[in-house]
Amino acid sequence: MVEVCSPLREPLVKGNKTLAQITLDVCRPLERRPTNLWWSAFLVSSTMLLLGIVAVTYQIMTGIGVWGLNRTVGWAFDITNFVFWVGIGHAGTLISAILFLFRQKWRTAVNRSAEAMTLFAVICAGLFPVIHMGRPWLAFWMLPYPNDRGSLWVNFRSPLIWDFFAISTYFLISLIFWYIGLIPDLATVRDRAPPGKRKSLFGFFSLGWNGSCRTWHRYELVYLLLAGLATPLVVSVHSIVSTDFATAILPGWHATIFPPYFVAGAIFSGMSMVLCLMIIARKVMHLEDYITILHIDAMCKMVLATSCLVALAYGIEFFTAMYSGNPYEYFVFMNRALGPLAWGYWIMVGCNVVVPQLLWFKKIRTNVLAVFALSLLVNIGMWFERFIIIVTSLYRDFLPSSWSSYTPTLVELATLVGSFGLFFTCFLLFCRFLPMIAIAEIKGVNRYARQPKGGHE
Amino acid sequence: MSEETANSYWKSLEECTADSEFLETASREFTEPIAVDPHGPSRRDFLALTGFALAGLTVAGCTPAPERQALPFVTQPEEIVPGRSLHYASTCQECSAGCGMLVKCRDGRPIKLEGNPEHAMSRGGLCAVGQASVLGLYDRLRVQRPLKDGRESTWREVDDDIRTQLDEIRRHGGAVRVLSGTILSPTLRDQIRRFLSRFADARHVVHDPLSASAILTAHERTHGIRLLPHYRLERAEVVVGFDADFLGTWISPVEFARAYQEGRSLDGNPPRCSWHAQFEGRLSVTGAKADERLRVLPGEMGILSHLASRLARRAGVSWDAPGLEDASIPGSVLDRVADRLWQARGRGLVLCGSQDVDQQLVCNFVNHLLGNYGATIDLEKPSLQKQGNDAEVERLVQELKDGRVAALLVLDSNPVYTLPGVQELTAALQRVPLLIDCSERFDETAAVAKYVCPRPHALASWNDAEPIRGLFSLAQPTFAPLGHERTILESLATWSGGGRSARQLIQEFWQANIFPQQTRENQFQRFWDQAVHDGVIETSIHEELPRSFAMDQIRPVIRSERPAEASFALALYPKVGLLDGRHAYNPWLQELPDPITKVAWDNYVCLSPTAANRLGIREGDVVRVEVGGASVELPAYLQPGQHDQLLAIPLGYGSKLSERFGNIGPNWLEARLTLNENGQVGINAAPLLILAGNSLQYQRLSARLTRTGRSHPLASTQTHQSISVPAHLAPAGEARRPMIQETTVAGLARGHRPEHPEPQADLWPNDHPVTGHRWGMVIDLNACNGCSACVVGCQVENNVPVVGKDEVRRQREMHWLRIDRYYSEEGRTSGDVDVAFQPMLCQHCGNAPCETVCPVLATVHSSEGLNQQVYNRCVGTRYCANNCPYKVRRFNWFAYSRDDALQNLVLNPDVTVRSRGVMEKCSFCIQRIQEAKLESRRLGLPLADGAVQTACQQSCPARAIHFGDLNDPNTEVSRLVRDGRRYQVLAELNAQPAVNYLKLVRNRPEGEVRGHG
Repeated sequence: MVEVCSPLREPLVKGNKTLAQITLDVCRPLERRPTNLWWSAFLVSSTMLLLGIVAVTYQIMTGIGVWGLNRTVGWAFDITNFVFWVGIGHAGTLISAILFLFRQKWRTAVNRSAEAMTLFAVICAGLFPVIHMGRPWLAFWMLPYPNDRGSLWVNFRSPLIWDFFAISTYFLISLIFWYIGLIPDLATVRDRAPPGKRKSLFGFFSLGWNGSCRTWHRYELVYLLLAGLATPLVVSVHSIVSTDFATAILPGWHATIFPPYFVAGAIFSGMSMVLCLMIIARKVMHLEDYITILHIDAMCKMVLATSCLVALAYGIEFFTAMYSGNPYEYFVFMNRALGPLAWGYWIMVGCNVVVPQLLWFKKIRTNVLAVFALSLLVNIGMWFERFIIIVTSLYRDFLPSSWSSYTPTLVELATLVGSFGLFFTCFLLFCRFLPMIAIAEIKGVNRYARQPKGGHE
Repeated sequence: MSEETANSYWKSLEECTADSEFLETASREFTEPIAVDPHGPSRRDFLALTGFALAGLTVAGCTPAPERQALPFVTQPEEIVPGRSLHYASTCQECSAGCGMLVKCRDGRPIKLEGNPEHAMSRGGLCAVGQASVLGLYDRLRVQRPLKDGRESTWREVDDDIRTQLDEIRRHGGAVRVLSGTILSPTLRDQIRRFLSRFADARHVVHDPLSASAILTAHERTHGIRLLPHYRLERAEVVVGFDADFLGTWISPVEFARAYQEGRSLDGNPPRCSWHAQFEGRLSVTGAKADERLRVLPGEMGILSHLASRLARRAGVSWDAPGLEDASIPGSVLDRVADRLWQARGRGLVLCGSQDVDQQLVCNFVNHLLGNYGATIDLEKPSLQKQGNDAEVERLVQELKDGRVAALLVLDSNPVYTLPGVQELTAALQRVPLLIDCSERFDETAAVAKYVCPRPHALASWNDAEPIRGLFSLAQPTFAPLGHERTILESLATWSGGGRSARQLIQEFWQANIFPQQTRENQFQRFWDQAVHDGVIETSIHEELPRSFAMDQIRPVIRSERPAEASFALALYPKVGLLDGRHAYNPWLQELPDPITKVAWDNYVCLSPTAANRLGIREGDVVRVEVGGASVELPAYLQPGQHDQLLAIPLGYGSKLSERFGNIGPNWLEARLTLNENGQVGINAAPLLILAGNSLQYQRLSARLTRTGRSHPLASTQTHQSISVPAHLAPAGEARRPMIQETTVAGLARGHRPEHPEPQADLWPNDHPVTGHRWGMVIDLNACNGCSACVVGCQVENNVPVVGKDEVRRQREMHWLRIDRYYSEEGRTSGDVDVAFQPMLCQHCGNAPCETVCPVLATVHSSEGLNQQVYNRCVGTRYCANNCPYKVRRFNWFAYSRDDALQNLVLNPDVTVRSRGVMEKCSFCIQRIQEAKLESRRLGLPLADGAVQTACQQSCPARAIHFGDLNDPNTEVSRLVRDGRRYQVLAELNAQPAVNYLKLVRNRPEGEVRGHG
């Protein structure tokens, strides 16, 4: 076969695949025994998960005092990790819903795994608000359920309640969206499986998919509607998370810029995490033909754009602090940049503002290793951003008498490691058992930038 | 009806036939004969004997019969209503000040100690130590039975032994010595005198660990009578202190704090405010309040002679001070102080805390020149709060070392701990044939004593006190002793031959000596009942007027001893919470942050930041301090405002009594112990004291400081000390935070106190108007001297847990009320600081930031303006604490131990004990508000102003805290809120706090004070 390319556009799928090849390529990892590489990765991540489980169990049995918090710094690692994971969870829905609506065809190679990543990240994120409670066994009190305590309801003025609704809505919609998108591929796996448990399991979850025109029609309509429904959530979730801080009166938190700033930061960190994972996955799963340099380049541009947005937000925050004439506000920002935790601030600025500027160069954007390193740095920088926002606003606030400091304990570090363990364990299981590229969708863009040929391929 | 028939039925053929043999058998109870041993005890005998033994054992088990007044309530007395508290007047016996107090009892157990407002001396105040002492009552580690050679014994055995040996000593004329601290109880003094009168060679030696012996000696020389004058600070318009921490720990701080405050009440126009200058080396609580504080070394107290010569010149008295060295203080300053004193002749007061008799003589001379005797210094009704005689103590130690003492009775004193030279003293004490220690706990001296005769807690025994001549107070038991303790009075009476109860002894003494001195009552029983009820009576007893002033005794102190350039002078000082260390058992006091350093659970070496920088020492570095042959190793603490060549070390640490804190605080992965390597809290600095030259010296002139290279992080509740934030992080000129606002007396007089305008209209409708009571508080920063009585009062009242050193170090102390201490360097010369104290508690904001953010409505507003925390609804997100601009919310990070069932008896049943994972904070003592409201409703009267007193307010010695209804314009708080000095902390946030502060006032020329609101 002769590959005929458009003079203007690069094809999205390389290697001039036939449709059958695509099916085969994506389904191959599901239908063979796991490789040693997978096993070792799984072992490492499940060990990390186990460590996290031990840490959280110990913490719940002993008390929240096993964390390094104090009377002044009431949140630190817990909420930092929460916001970090929610941010990571942002890219998936952005890619699948917003890019879908914008007809960005390159998204088809990455949307499935990005959505899966979203789900796992939101699971990780959702854990923290629960375990950070002094009495996590009463977490259900956040639910406005009918009760016999004089019908005591939750406080609808509290951003934590908004959070609870925002996160749970986001998780549910993301889950449904992801699952609906999976159905045609589940059917493909079902059809390829020999009779047995596997076939009946996939058969059950593919909801009797028969590939008829009517099925496809309904499927695509539902997918479109869900994409429309999920789009506002991309903006709402992190806006609401930001109100945890913005509605407080604490200098450094009390800022109207927070919702757009947090959304930009979330997309920034989410995209970097997707980049990170995709670069590993395409190498390990031999999917270079599907997740191409083109994809990496496109995502790098988004990272660069959001990095600039985040940099702008940093600048505006400082400007507001200086311009407001509020000495407390002024102090918080100067203290961030020059105080005892300034090293954290400069890690944040370095990783989130300075380093991504390299992405202006195409050479860097197309260098997989460089992009990988860079995306890791951005993730570190974004974790520090949340840490800086939370801890440096708290540890030196209004009354100098109450100033304190914060050092994480081993239990907190183990909990952070555990959350990564949970994330990667879930992700590895996903790679192992579900098609990590949307087969049906990628087939639709297979002919992109190629001259149409008559007949079947 | 048919005629009744009586048929007879038979049960067997034998009965029918009336077989005689059968009939006989049937008539017996047992068919077969029972084998009874006619010689052994019968069954009835056995039962009778068992019953007798049981009854006998029961009766035997009931001894000893409890004290009459402390009977448990077998039948309910009329006045005891479960759930209602009773207050009994009593006397605090925790230090030698002898303040009056009220014991609050609930369901038969004392749970809170408060100041007795009717006590003429302490006037409703009670210090932190006094308030914390209730915990000692429920201490399971008290000695509960007499010990003989360290083993538990019985009173009978111990008494027999002691009596036999005393008789032996009496026959041989051996030396008998009684060693005690200051004894305020006239009955006990009388009893000791009687006890000793039986021996040929007998003496009562009074050893005050915090001695003021030099003052007594000086007055003996100048006035011919050994006494401690009663200083009347309330009459003084100019107060000049020389190393006398009279607001903190010196002689009678509660009384002095109130009197000092009265002299600075700011009433009238011009506002009444004394002028206070303090000469001192370390920064004391008193120095913190001074209008002018001058840093001088202990060896430089010859300054007093400079002052004396200036005053003598003004008075026209010839007083030569040849060879007087130049003072380190500029002459102009001394002139200013002298002028102030001279202008206020008879209305001034010079106080000297030195233990140097010559200096005290000069101090007497100065007061004499100024005509302060008879005006601000009362000699007719002198103070009895320090009776120690260091010369006698020195003599006793020598006698002990020489082995000349046959019997030593140590009454409530711990010389092995409080005197220098532990080893020699221990060895000397071990050689004493009969060493009896009467104390509450197994301390260092009890460990070497042959007999330990435990005394009950002050709340479980009768006692009396005479802190000021003619002012008598009583202490009544409110609880039965938990063990088999016996009061010292009873022990002495037993050993003297007459075994009577303490109550009888006191009653007899009062009938014979005190009753005749008063005219109010003519029947002793009524007099006694009234005295027990009031807790205090005043009589006309007074000293003979002393002879005229002996001028010839006064010699100027001309030497000015400064340590060499590289070495330091050393000052050993008592801390507000721990004093001489006898309270080291008390976790509340150990966890109480020092008012100045804000460090809990440790002692340290204070040195000035300049000196520390020079030596490269950082806070927490362990340093070795060597004086003479003795040395201690302690962490360093950088104390602003301290003289650059002075080291200061708190006493009262490193005591055997603190060995109990091994398990205090939560136990978890990274928890560290509260105890140091020595197994104690802190290190005893008493070995650095010196007992020589007829006085116990707390100051050494030459000490060496070396670094050890180790470090020991201190548990400090405040990490940033200044009111200003680092200048490079703040907008230009706005580094000072406005939490503390100050003004001057002149400013007040000129500003004639503008009434506050009505608050401006709000954009938002007031949709929750508070129409009934609206509780509010006013805290007078001018009155507050940081003494921390409120902190402990709050802790006791509200069941606030103790968390241990490591948790304090992690900034997780639980105190609902804290005292912020700020330094300000602005406008001061280099090294000097201004100090401000600010009690900080939940501000009960009208627009509370904590309330909006709680997801589960666990913190809500009451209809009376209170911000309430609902513990059982709290899930512990800590969002409220994050959003609290005052950072007054406290989180239960762990389940703090409540395992000690005995200690739990001290818990206030009106206040919930919080579980782990919930937030807590000041409730404005809502339980007290409820109690007062219920009472007023029961009586059908409106709630009077002052009927609700919060725990912090009640015992504040300086009356700095006022509480009441802000909606009633006639209450005291409403009046104070209208005062021109009133401000709110962070008012610009519009949280509308219900706690208002009154500006700190310094008696300085205008312009020297910053931070005008």
